[in-house]
Amino acid sequence: MEAMHMVALEIRLLAEKADRELVMSGKNPDKLQAAGSFLMKVFGALAVKGPKRVGALYVTCQLFKIYFRLGTVNLCRSVIRSIETARNFDFEDFPVKDKVTYMYYTGRLEVFNENFLVADQKLTYALMHCNPQSESNLRKILKFLIPVKLSIGVLPRRTLLEKYNLLEYADIVTSLRRGDLRLLKQALDRHEDQLLKCGVYLVLEKLELQVYRRLVKKIHIIQREKEPSKAHQIKLEVLVKTLQWLGITMDVDEVECIMACLIYKNLIKGYFAHKSKVLVLSKQDPFPKLNGKPV
Amino acid sequence: MRTSRSLAVKKFCRTISSTGIQASDIRPLPVLRETMDYLWHLLNSSEYPFEIVHDFIFDRTRSVRQDLSIQNLVNDQAIGIYEDVIKFHILSHQRLARSCQDSDASSLCYLNTEQMMKCLLSLFDMYHTIHKINSQSNKEAEYYSFFVLLHMGCKIPKMANSLSFWYSQLPASIVRSKEMIFARTILRCYHLGNFKRFFCMIADEATELQLCLVEPFLNEVRARALMYLNHSGYKLQHHPLTHLSDILMIEELELEDLCRICGLEISRSGDTKAFAPKQTTFSLPTPLSKSSGIYISRE
Repeated sequence: MEAMHMVALEIRLLAEKADRELVMSGKNPDKLQAAGSFLMKVFGALAVKGPKRVGALYVTCQLFKIYFRLGTVNLCRSVIRSIETARNFDFEDFPVKDKVTYMYYTGRLEVFNENFLVADQKLTYALMHCNPQSESNLRKILKFLIPVKLSIGVLPRRTLLEKYNLLEYADIVTSLRRGDLRLLKQALDRHEDQLLKCGVYLVLEKLELQVYRRLVKKIHIIQREKEPSKAHQIKLEVLVKTLQWLGITMDVDEVECIMACLIYKNLIKGYFAHKSKVLVLSKQDPFPKLNGKPV
Repeated sequence: MRTSRSLAVKKFCRTISSTGIQASDIRPLPVLRETMDYLWHLLNSSEYPFEIVHDFIFDRTRSVRQDLSIQNLVNDQAIGIYEDVIKFHILSHQRLARSCQDSDASSLCYLNTEQMMKCLLSLFDMYHTIHKINSQSNKEAEYYSFFVLLHMGCKIPKMANSLSFWYSQLPASIVRSKEMIFARTILRCYHLGNFKRFFCMIADEATELQLCLVEPFLNEVRARALMYLNHSGYKLQHHPLTHLSDILMIEELELEDLCRICGLEISRSGDTKAFAPKQTTFSLPTPLSKSSGIYISRE
């Protein structure tokens, strides 16, 4: 089995090298793709009843690496189907290392598909079972797990971000804590290219609603200190002014739209009065917790 | 009406094997360009009902694309032809949606969108190919933006891969182009329920083709806006239709119709018509009648 692993790994690495050389001499790089086809056949040979099948996950992971590198992630579907329909495979039999890699890649696919709950499960599994000494692997997992966690309302501590050098998320986390819409937009702008390349940009963009919610909550808290009896009523004008102070121009109509949406999506409990231009918060639990459900 | 050498255009036919095809059957690039120009002229000047013209051009452009792909032609002119074909599909998309309200025609719409999608994906491959030789079309950004905008319509065929993944594979210069930022932003506004900005941006920044493309989706967007407002508004403070008609950029009478289709009762007090929120009879209709576009009220 180890020999087979070595061959599978070397095929991929050699093919990557070969492609780099082909590109440099102006030719079409097709070696990695060919390696992929070859490894698919290897996978087919292993996907049978019998002791050979434990090696199949390793080959699967090599295939994932190839497909992700080539951008042909749709090809992952058939191997995943084979592994997960589990007639020949019992997932628990596979070596831990392979399971971690498998969960990492399938978790990333779920992030692309915006299935955040499943992505959370898979990436968390990978995190939990990953070798704690392997910081670079932990970093890779966290790079995708953090945006998923943010979308279900779970915020990482700054120390975590610092330890694993994921400071591109630092401002985003801060904007969620503060309700600072301007900071969110700036952070997304500054790291746009990188976040788009990883496929997490859209996930983070959607955090805008949570930031609005936090902003409204802060205004509510301030009002409660000043005049508790009227605290649950927030004039839309106040929101407009607050946003203006943050450098964001929005008129009352736009704010009303967003409040309507926040209420609909149950991020805020209450209602808005159109004519009086007031947001009226429910007296009980006006800001229900996300409870691990994505917005 | 009888056909003639000057009028006849080669039909699309599904090739089962490539062995039966002869080189003389395939039209070279200059001929294909002339064919496209002729079809374009037909589109704008025919006195026949639009569905018939659409059907004819749909078929003949498919045949043009087939001839291009058999020859594996990837260059500026081939790209220009593909861009024109997509333009046709987009204009059809708008016109079919406006003129058809029954189920027969809606399958025409679906087939048109499906073909448009196929064409777009082929075009993107071609853009990718010419990038390697350091060339590019000056319309690229706009055509990429069409793919993003199609994500607003439901039941759009071939959306198997995620948009996130698609962005991750594009060069940064495309994703950050003006046309793409427009498409990305209004898609975001749509998901975030910011209807005010959604319609304002479309009115201010959409190119002509972008507008044609999103037009058939607008009533669905408006219905969702009504849904949010109905859900979250205060029952005793009615939402006047004039105000809504401004924000949703729809004529007041059409808005009234839309409210009724969604099961919202309109109340009247004096001259003003409004709807009261928290009506339990509301439901998002599917399919929805297509809008006749953006209405911008003049002060």
